[in-house]
Amino acid sequence: MASVELRNLTKRYDTAAAVDNVSLHIDHGLLVCLLGPSGCGKTTTLRLIAGFVEPTAGEIVVGDRVVSSPGRTLPPEARKMSMIFQSYALWPHMTVTDNVAYGLTLRRLPRNEIARKVSTILATTKLSDLAARYPGELSGGQQQRVALARALIVDPETLLLDEPLSNLDANLREEMRFEVRRLHDEYRYTTVYVTHDQSEAMTTADLIAVMNAGRIEQLGPPEDIYARPRSEFVARFIGSSNIVKGKALDATHITVAGVPISCTGAGLAAGNAAAISIRQHEIHIAQAEPSGERHNVLPAVVVRNVFLGHTRDYMVEIGDGTQLRVVTSPEQNIMRGSNVWLRLPPERCRVLES
Amino acid sequence: MPDGKFSRRTILKASGIAAVSAFASPIRAAAPEPTAVTPALIEAARNEGKVVYYTSIDLPVAEPIAKAFEAKYPGIAVRVERTGAERVFQRIGQEYASNIHAVDVVNSSDAAHFIVWKRDGLLVPFVPEDVAKHYPAEQKDPDGLFAAFRASLSVIGYNTRLVKPENAPKSFADLLDPKWAGKIVKAHPGYSGTILTATYQMSRDIGWGFFEKLAKQRVMQVQSAADPPKKLGLGERAIMADGNEYVLFQIKEAGGPVEVVYPTEGTPLIVSPNAVFNAAPNPNAARLFQCFCFSPECQDLVVNRGGMRSFHAQIKDKPGRRPLSDIKLMKEDAAAVEKLSEEIKAHYTKIFRV
Amino acid sequence: MTLTLAVPAAPGRSTFRFDLSLPILLGFSVALCLLILLPLSWLVYYSLHDRAGGFTLANFAQLVTDPTFLDPLVTTLILAISSATICCLVAAPMGWLVARTDMPLRRTIRALVTASFVTPPFLGAVAWELLAAPNSGLLNKIFRAVTGAESDEYLFNIYSLPGLIFVISCYTFPYVFVLVANALDRIPGDLEDASSILGGGAWTTARRVTVPLALPAVLAGALIAFLQAMTLFGSPAILALPAGFHTMTTKIWSLFQYPPKPELAAAASLPLLVLTVALLRAEAFVLGRRSYAVVGGRQGDPRRVPLGRWKWVALGAAFLVLLNPVFLPYGALLNAAFSQVASEFVWFDNVTLHNIDFVFFELSATGLAFRNTLILCTSAATIGTVMAVVIAYITSRRVVAWHKALGFLATAPVAVPGIVLGVGLFLTYTRPPFVLYGTLWILLIAFITIALPAAYQQLQSAFRVVNPDLEEASRILGATRLGTLGRITAPLLRTSVIATWCFIFIGVIRELSAAIMLFTSETKVISVLIFDLNESGDLGAIAVLGIIMLVFTFAVVILINRIPGFGGVRLRNT
Repeated sequence: MASVELRNLTKRYDTAAAVDNVSLHIDHGLLVCLLGPSGCGKTTTLRLIAGFVEPTAGEIVVGDRVVSSPGRTLPPEARKMSMIFQSYALWPHMTVTDNVAYGLTLRRLPRNEIARKVSTILATTKLSDLAARYPGELSGGQQQRVALARALIVDPETLLLDEPLSNLDANLREEMRFEVRRLHDEYRYTTVYVTHDQSEAMTTADLIAVMNAGRIEQLGPPEDIYARPRSEFVARFIGSSNIVKGKALDATHITVAGVPISCTGAGLAAGNAAAISIRQHEIHIAQAEPSGERHNVLPAVVVRNVFLGHTRDYMVEIGDGTQLRVVTSPEQNIMRGSNVWLRLPPERCRVLES
Repeated sequence: MPDGKFSRRTILKASGIAAVSAFASPIRAAAPEPTAVTPALIEAARNEGKVVYYTSIDLPVAEPIAKAFEAKYPGIAVRVERTGAERVFQRIGQEYASNIHAVDVVNSSDAAHFIVWKRDGLLVPFVPEDVAKHYPAEQKDPDGLFAAFRASLSVIGYNTRLVKPENAPKSFADLLDPKWAGKIVKAHPGYSGTILTATYQMSRDIGWGFFEKLAKQRVMQVQSAADPPKKLGLGERAIMADGNEYVLFQIKEAGGPVEVVYPTEGTPLIVSPNAVFNAAPNPNAARLFQCFCFSPECQDLVVNRGGMRSFHAQIKDKPGRRPLSDIKLMKEDAAAVEKLSEEIKAHYTKIFRV
Repeated sequence: MTLTLAVPAAPGRSTFRFDLSLPILLGFSVALCLLILLPLSWLVYYSLHDRAGGFTLANFAQLVTDPTFLDPLVTTLILAISSATICCLVAAPMGWLVARTDMPLRRTIRALVTASFVTPPFLGAVAWELLAAPNSGLLNKIFRAVTGAESDEYLFNIYSLPGLIFVISCYTFPYVFVLVANALDRIPGDLEDASSILGGGAWTTARRVTVPLALPAVLAGALIAFLQAMTLFGSPAILALPAGFHTMTTKIWSLFQYPPKPELAAAASLPLLVLTVALLRAEAFVLGRRSYAVVGGRQGDPRRVPLGRWKWVALGAAFLVLLNPVFLPYGALLNAAFSQVASEFVWFDNVTLHNIDFVFFELSATGLAFRNTLILCTSAATIGTVMAVVIAYITSRRVVAWHKALGFLATAPVAVPGIVLGVGLFLTYTRPPFVLYGTLWILLIAFITIALPAAYQQLQSAFRVVNPDLEEASRILGATRLGTLGRITAPLLRTSVIATWCFIFIGVIRELSAAIMLFTSETKVISVLIFDLNESGDLGAIAVLGIIMLVFTFAVVILINRIPGFGGVRLRNT
């Protein structure tokens, strides 16, 4: 059983910390996505797990064995892991078959068994016809599948994926997302998947770790991360949220442009600056001034109105000059410059940690 | 002839009878009137500003001659173009074939070249006053096209640190002793006019058989006749089979461990004339330089600094050097060299393989 | 409903603007054809005609029957094969140490290899004469002093075939080293990481991934070493003649002794030409369809193998190798420059400035040779780089239909040994309509032709990296082809362009084999001056000139490395 655990893992280059005191426990068979913008430390974390990089502090435990700690790092070849590289790292001097069979030949399997396994996986990955080609003669998608086949054929305890889909075109990328998830469900390797694409993470992951500046900002299942971003960074990075800033009135209210807004989430301290996030499609927009209930209603002016086919995308400006994006159904067509009223449902206004 | 001055008789003996020397070309018109150095000539030369001297004299002698001229006639630069006489000849031939007239004054240690140039009408009739007054008739062209600027011998030499005088070879025949195998250096008739002339005289007087046996002695083959003395001086080889006497003199008089041997079979004599080219780009500077070359001042340099022999009546041999009259010389025959030059080189290449 | 579309009238000015780019590019192509085809045609013509101008095969008949031609041919083959083998055995491991291990002083080692690369081979040959002439050589003197051996015993004899092979290898191994080290530099670390993570240890990874990937470079290096050794003129002229044998190049040269036999020289040149072409084709065939171009996107840095305590042994070995092309020869040259007798060790009591004085104040050819060399270096480097940029542009952007032929022509001189080119150019430009012999032009043409293939290939691969979109973006904004080349592409390729310029400049300083066929007294260059001085054995003067030449070369290399933004320009060879 190979769970993977990072304990206070730190990697410093010169003085800058690429990975800063990261702790993460991955149970056996889970697929964890390290999600974050470029430079957030996710790839370094992955390379630390693989053993290509030695930590400056902290340790990595696989199963019950410490595989990385400062000064003592098990070499990658002894970790029973497998990895798919962003560049695929296919060996240009070997055919597809040779590339895929490489790991098995190192494990000294009988020749006929290697041949059987290779032909099985080539069939699974739809590469059978290309077995004798060299990587230079393949398309991007085909290369990606070779990389996948090469990584999976050795039946690793842990599978590491470093932006494996980033070199593919959009259609193929979408298709391969589901393929990765399907293969994971089939084989149940402990998998660490690095990506900067949130929908890729949403599709594939059991758990998402959003990383920023070398730290994990938030860890949780995709739904949780999406529904309840805890920080402005996560809120902005995941999905399409508006950040509205104001001042806390009491534990559950803030005032924005003079209007009190009731919200949910962590308690607020009265008088402090506070921010809430609300998704673009969760804001209701009305042309007529609502009568009666005026809670959580902000007056605004339409600055932009774009028809997108299945939705309409508005930019509106509220009293304090903050601009918010609002997505509505396409039928709701309001002229630019019109006065509107925005209703922010209290249960959708999530307080962000400051 | 205790003072080393040439008598008419020794000259005749030394340089071969007039009938066979370079100076015995078919008689045409008489030589032009001798030219003295006049202020007008100097002025005209100065306007040209430079003179180009193609020569096969070793640079440490040729450059001081050039510097002496420049000191005497400021404003006229001499460019010395030194290489082996055969390459001088080839270079001029090549240049003239392409209508390049770069050379003003030429000096070659292969007197046969002058026969060719004269025949081709490339030389200008010009007799410096010194040549008319102080040079024996045998050492100047009857038509006044060239005159013997210098003479030298191709001698045997040895390094006194490596060979004791009593063991040193006395004759060409001695060189064939197996004890000298791998210890002999010699120059090449394909490059050096001195060696071509010497090779002709030796093959005529002692036969090609000598060279065939010498080739089996694993000789070190260099190009210019100036190089074997230098290889002796370095101690690279113990014996030189041929090469310039004058370079040996220079090394010896500078304290180098070398000694000259005049072989008992006779020593090849090499007469090197000077001439001015018809198409000289700097005709006046060329004439002035030619006058200077035959002046006692320059001839003194040739003898005292250069270690060569002069035909100028006023110039005396340097004490300590054996006078020509005391040396058994081989007979010079430029006309024969001219006829046989190609054959000699081909035969030599066949024997020595280079 | 009427649909009206207003079509704006095209401004008259830009409806037709004549673009000079195409004619100019065309002109370049024609010039290239002339440059290369003309001398080769004359070479073939001469080889097939007798002196009277009648058709004959006698020249070739003499070539294959006359032992004075057959022997040099065999010698040359032995020489080339041995040198190539030695170069690979030495340079490939060294390239690996520098590119892929944690051996200390890797940059220094690279710099020193660059130093041996820019050292003219003929200068190296003279230096090794000083070191290892059997009797006067400094190393042999030390040997005798240490062992008390007899005065005629020696350890090394540089005047021999093995001696010549050694000296040629000394100055040829950098080609293999640079190719291998660059290839190893370019192998992305990912490829090795992929092997490690699948269970391949350091040794397995090296054997199955790294070495096979570097193999084409080793093969290419061996080929270049072979061709270099086969076509080198200076070193054999200095070392083989005293040893009493000819190589093909010295033999060809000797055919220009009076009376010159150009038709035989032309015939003797053709085997070198044919062999070179055949080998280049064979290389392409062997590499086959395996595209060694690395695929995929972002690449990892190369991973270095930790050598542990062995790294000091490796460093020692690297320095030991570099003793031969750099430290010992430079030491010998310095010694000779300041000594009265080149074969004696300089000490305080016998140091002299005589040689320096001689070179600067007596030798009247010095100034002219330096001036000519400088003019030729600068102009050949500039014109050659411009030509290479334009041709690489034409071929990589397929500007004209016959771009492939053009690319082939630009690489063709690779197959033409310097001395053969010299013969061809001599035959071409000593006769109407182009009488260039005796001018610097003929040397300029020779040097550009020789430098073109390497310059072209270097820039061609640089062009491949530049996305054509960048150029198209410029053209859509109204720039012509040439304008775009000048404003967008060339600046993008700045580093490659500078490196190419530098490469040609240094190549020209050390060129001897073509120059020796083409110079006249007015167009002498330093390399020829040194060769002439060697003929008469003036080793002290050679040492002084050689040191100046080296200082000059290093100054250029260092200067260009120091210009901000040009950092890291490395001499690459193809």
